[in-house]
Amino acid sequence: MTALLEAKGLKKTYRMGKILVPALQRVTFDVAEGEFLAVFGPSGSGKSTLLHLLGGLDRPDEGEVFVDGISFSTLNDNALAEVRLRKVGFVFQFFNLLPRLTALRNVELPLTLADVPEKDSLKKAENMLKLVGLRDRINHRPSEMSGGEQQRVAIARALINDPKIVLADEPTGNLDTTTGGEIAQLMKRLNDEKGQTFVVVTHDSAIAQTADRIIYLKDGLIQGVKEKSGRL
Amino acid sequence: MRLKRIFSMAWGNMKLRKLRTFLTTLGVVIGITAIIALASLGEGFRMSITERMEQGFELDVLTVIPGSLFAGPGRRFTRIQAENVTKASNVSIATPVIQMGNVTLYNEDKKVSAFVATAVNFTEFLEVFPDRFSFEEGELPEEVKNDTMIIGYKVNHMNETEAAFAHPNDKVNMTVSIPTDQPPYFRLENHTFTVAGTLERKGTPGLTNFDYWVFIPHNVAMKIYSLTDMDFADLIFVKVSDSELSETVAEDIEDMFPPYQITVLVPLSFIEQVDSILNMVQIFLTSIASIALLVAGIGIMNIMAVSVMERTREIGILKAVGAKNRTILTMFLAEAALIGIVGSLTGVPAGYGISHVLSYVLSGFATPQENHVFQRPEVERATIVPVFSWEWAFIAVIFGIAICILFGLYPARKAAKLDPVEALRYE
Repeated sequence: MTALLEAKGLKKTYRMGKILVPALQRVTFDVAEGEFLAVFGPSGSGKSTLLHLLGGLDRPDEGEVFVDGISFSTLNDNALAEVRLRKVGFVFQFFNLLPRLTALRNVELPLTLADVPEKDSLKKAENMLKLVGLRDRINHRPSEMSGGEQQRVAIARALINDPKIVLADEPTGNLDTTTGGEIAQLMKRLNDEKGQTFVVVTHDSAIAQTADRIIYLKDGLIQGVKEKSGRL
Repeated sequence: MRLKRIFSMAWGNMKLRKLRTFLTTLGVVIGITAIIALASLGEGFRMSITERMEQGFELDVLTVIPGSLFAGPGRRFTRIQAENVTKASNVSIATPVIQMGNVTLYNEDKKVSAFVATAVNFTEFLEVFPDRFSFEEGELPEEVKNDTMIIGYKVNHMNETEAAFAHPNDKVNMTVSIPTDQPPYFRLENHTFTVAGTLERKGTPGLTNFDYWVFIPHNVAMKIYSLTDMDFADLIFVKVSDSELSETVAEDIEDMFPPYQITVLVPLSFIEQVDSILNMVQIFLTSIASIALLVAGIGIMNIMAVSVMERTREIGILKAVGAKNRTILTMFLAEAALIGIVGSLTGVPAGYGISHVLSYVLSGFATPQENHVFQRPEVERATIVPVFSWEWAFIAVIFGIAICILFGLYPARKAAKLDPVEALRYE
C-alpha cells in the first residue's frame, strides 16, 4: 500500500502564559490509502493537535505533513484552505454544524465553497445524506436532530467533496455508547464499501477496536502501534 | 465562492438578526436622508434664486459704465465712443443713458423726489428691454415728443394707500438742481413734461428695477444739463445677439478703451458666480449632513465587530471545511454592502420627502418683506420648492455604500484572519 498521508517529525509547542506546553514531540507515521487508523490516547495527549496538523488547520513548529504527495509547508494559507476543501474532510466531537442551515445546506456547504452549481450540489448533498441514513432528515436544522443524527450530517459533509482522507476528532465523544457505536459502524462501513481513508482520534476503545491500526499517543509521543489483531 | 451565493448567505445572516440589522440600517437611512434632504432643499434654493435673478437680469444685456473699481469713476462716454460700442461685433443694439441727480417732480400739490431720473432714447431703449414696459395707464406714443415722460410704478405709488402721483396727460413739473462754480453753487432748471404712461409693477430684482425709474427723452436731458457730444452717456446698455457670447462681447468692448477706463457688467457671469457660491453652500450643508453617515459607519463597525465575535465558531467551521480568508472577508463585506444598499435606497426617497416637510416648516418663518429686491409681488410666502437631483441621489447612494464597506473592512478583516483552531475552540 502506498502512503497517502505522511507525518514526519511533527513538533508543536503551545505557550500558556510563560509556560511552554509541548503538545507533540517528533511524531512520525504514515497512513495508507484505504486505511482506517485510530489514534488512541488520554485527553491532553496531543491527539487533537495532531489531527489539526494533519488536516492543515494548523502548522507544526517542526516537521512536515504530506497528503497525496503535497507538502503542507510549501503551501500558503489559501492553498491550504484549498487542500482542506478538496482533499480533507473533518468530523468534530461537537459536530460543528452551522445552526441556521438545514442538514442539506450544511452538507452542501463545501460544494458551495468549491463553486459547484447549486442544482448539482443539492442533488449530491441529498444523495450523501441518504448514504449516511438521513433520508428523512434532509430539511431539519441541527437543533431539530439528535446528537447521532447531527454527527451523521457532519460525516456526510466531510465526505461531500470526495476527500482523500477523513479526519475525525473524538466523533463519538459527545454521544452515548449505543449511538457512538452506530457512528463507528457507519465510518467502518464507508471505509469498507467506499475505501474511504479515515484517521480517527479517540479515547473510545470501541472505535479503536474497529480500526485497521491503532497508534497510542501519550504526552505528545507515540508510545506504540498495534496492527489489527496484532499485539502492541 | 461565487459572489451571488455570498450575497444570498449574507442576506440570510442579516434576516437572522432582524432587530440588529434594522437598527444598523436605520443609521445609514438617517445619514442619507439628511444628505438628500439638504441637497434637495439646497438645489431648490439655488434654482429659485437663479430663476429670479434671470428674471431680473436680461441675460443678453450688458451694462457699460465709465471708470472701474480700482481706477475710480471715469468721465462720461462721448458720442463717438457710444457709437463705436454699437458697432462692436455681435451687438444687436446699444443705447446711451443719462442718469440725473437732484430731481424733484411736482404735480399740483403732490411731490416726489426719491427716484432714479433717467434720460433714454425711447425707441432704442424699448428694443433693449422689450419685456419691461407694460403700462398700467397710457402708452408710449408712436412719436416721442420732447415733453414725453414715463413713470415707474413705485414712483407713482410711493404710498399705496394714497392716490397715484400722476395719470396720463397730467402736466408734471420737473425741477433739476445743477451744480455751478459760483455761489450758491447751484441753479434750478424747471421743465414741464406730459405724462405719456405709467408702468405696471414688476418688482423684479437686479440692477435695473424700473419700478423706481422715471424716463424722459435723452436729447432733453442733454439740453437741461447743456451737454455736448463729449458728454453723451453716463452708461450704455448693450444688447448682444446671443447671451452665450456676452463674455466675448464684453472683452471686445473693453478692448476699445484704455485699461480700467470702463467696466462692463455681464449678468451671465454674475449669475454664474452666485450659482457657484450657492453650490459651495450646498456642498457645505451636505458635508455637515455627511457626519450623520459617518456616525452610522462607526455604528456598523461596532455591530460587525460584535458579530464577528459571536460568529467566531461559525468562522472556524467555515475555515475548517475549506473557506479561504478572502471568502470570509467577502461574506462580511457583503453584509456591510447590503446594509449600505438598503439604507441608501431607503434614505433617498425619505430625504426627498423630508425636504418637502422642511420646506413647508421653513416657509412659516420667512415672512415676505416689502420692497425686498428678491420679492415678487405675487409671492405670498417665500417658499423653496425642493428639487430632486439624480446626480445627488447617485452620489449619496455611492457614498452610503462606500462608507458601509469602508467601516466594515476592519471587522471583516479581523474575521478573515481568525486562526481556525482558535476559532473552533471558541465557546
